[in-house]
Amino acid sequence: MTRSSRLQSSRAVLSWVSAGLAVLLLGLPQLASAQIAEVDLRSGVFHEPSAQSHMTVLTPSATITAAPASAVSVTGSYQADIVSGASESVKAGPQLSSFPDIVSAASVTDFRHVASGAVDIQRRHTKLGLQYAYGTELDYKSQSFVVSAGTDFLQRNTEMEISYAKGFDKVCNMAHADGAPPMYRARLDSSVGCFTEADDRSEDDIDMDTFQGVWTQSWTPILTTQLIASASLLHGFLGNPYRGVVVGPSGIAAQEHHPTDRSRLALSMKTKLYIRSLKTATTLSFRGYRDSWEILSHTVGLDMDRHLSSWLRLNAHARYYAQTGAHFWSDDYTGGEPLNGPRGQYWSGDRELSPLKTYSGGTRFVAEWRGRSGGRLLGMFLNFSTSLSADLVKTDLENFTWAGTKPDDTLAGVASFSLTTLF
Amino acid sequence: MDDLKRALRLALYGATFLLVGCATVRPEDRAILADPVMQYHLDARAHAALDHVHENREGSFGGGSVKGGGCGCN
Repeated sequence: MTRSSRLQSSRAVLSWVSAGLAVLLLGLPQLASAQIAEVDLRSGVFHEPSAQSHMTVLTPSATITAAPASAVSVTGSYQADIVSGASESVKAGPQLSSFPDIVSAASVTDFRHVASGAVDIQRRHTKLGLQYAYGTELDYKSQSFVVSAGTDFLQRNTEMEISYAKGFDKVCNMAHADGAPPMYRARLDSSVGCFTEADDRSEDDIDMDTFQGVWTQSWTPILTTQLIASASLLHGFLGNPYRGVVVGPSGIAAQEHHPTDRSRLALSMKTKLYIRSLKTATTLSFRGYRDSWEILSHTVGLDMDRHLSSWLRLNAHARYYAQTGAHFWSDDYTGGEPLNGPRGQYWSGDRELSPLKTYSGGTRFVAEWRGRSGGRLLGMFLNFSTSLSADLVKTDLENFTWAGTKPDDTLAGVASFSLTTLF
Repeated sequence: MDDLKRALRLALYGATFLLVGCATVRPEDRAILADPVMQYHLDARAHAALDHVHENREGSFGGGSVKGGGCGCN
């Protein structure tokens, strides 16, 4: 992305945000009299303190929810992903550690915009939802529809919800010659020319279908559980077009080559228990996952929420994750099978497909003030809340290397801040 | 025969689990359940943002909220 196009994107976003705020401010008196709107502004920052990647991602977002009728709510939101840093563009394994600069890093700067709208209808015991989202960046466009329906019964002790999401995305790629074998396909070198009529660029489709069912049950006055089952099907270009993988002992690199189909299954079980002696709600969660690329994973999470005062709440959370590698993943595709060599017709430089573990944890403080007896704070807000959170994420890559060297970008910090008001 | 016994045992466990689900917490006993800290969707936007970070560093997906779009490489 060039500096001028970044500036243009920034100006466009600022214009939209300014226009949105102006509309919001002009509409405040009407909204306040109707008591029907919630405004949520938040931003997150992700940073890897690594000499190699120095990856930083900012994610500002604004969401407005209004209730034009008692059973209907309408939501509009905008989110940006502002990415800067570097990532490896060519992946090699330990067999090529003697080749100087075989693993190259390329700077990454991108600006992703996501706009979404949703309508929710809620009656006494049933709810229906419809959501649409559109995302765009220089080399990727995404669209998705989500429909959901839910109901509760047995005196609200049992809740069931089903949902379906359809995504149809487009990713920019090199215009490879018809019938060119994957071994001779070059990686995408830049986003210049993407989504134009440029001869050396093409567009690849990605289709995603996701089905999900959720069962939430209250068992006792202090114990609830939630079971979530989800399945998704992906079809299309499922690799990273920018990434090359060294596939020959001479150092020849080809564009990452992944299967074009992937099916995924995940089952989550959460148990929430209120511990009276600690005045704390504790959530223990477990998730099992398997997909057709033979990745098996499990996740264990612990969340604790406690009111520190009438307006201040503390959340502390920790998570452990472990996965096996995809059946075609290898750290080195140049040597002999199976330890340091190809595993079938595919090759990947994606660390997310390698065996790994993740450890993460953090805290979040949420402060919330309400107007007394339906009154307003500062004559305007029915409710005002703000939150501040910080997390650390450490990834333990079991086999992944940069030509035999362990990556140093495995630690990340995540912080976020939010303001939410109800008018 | 062993498979049949195993299947029957699983069905029995499943039915017991579902029947126990019919036990209800009376409305007057729901004070703690009504507290925001006992809701699964508490701080949903903050959770979604953190899930997004994990999904971009790991190879698995799902079991949370239904989503579409985004990077097809994950």
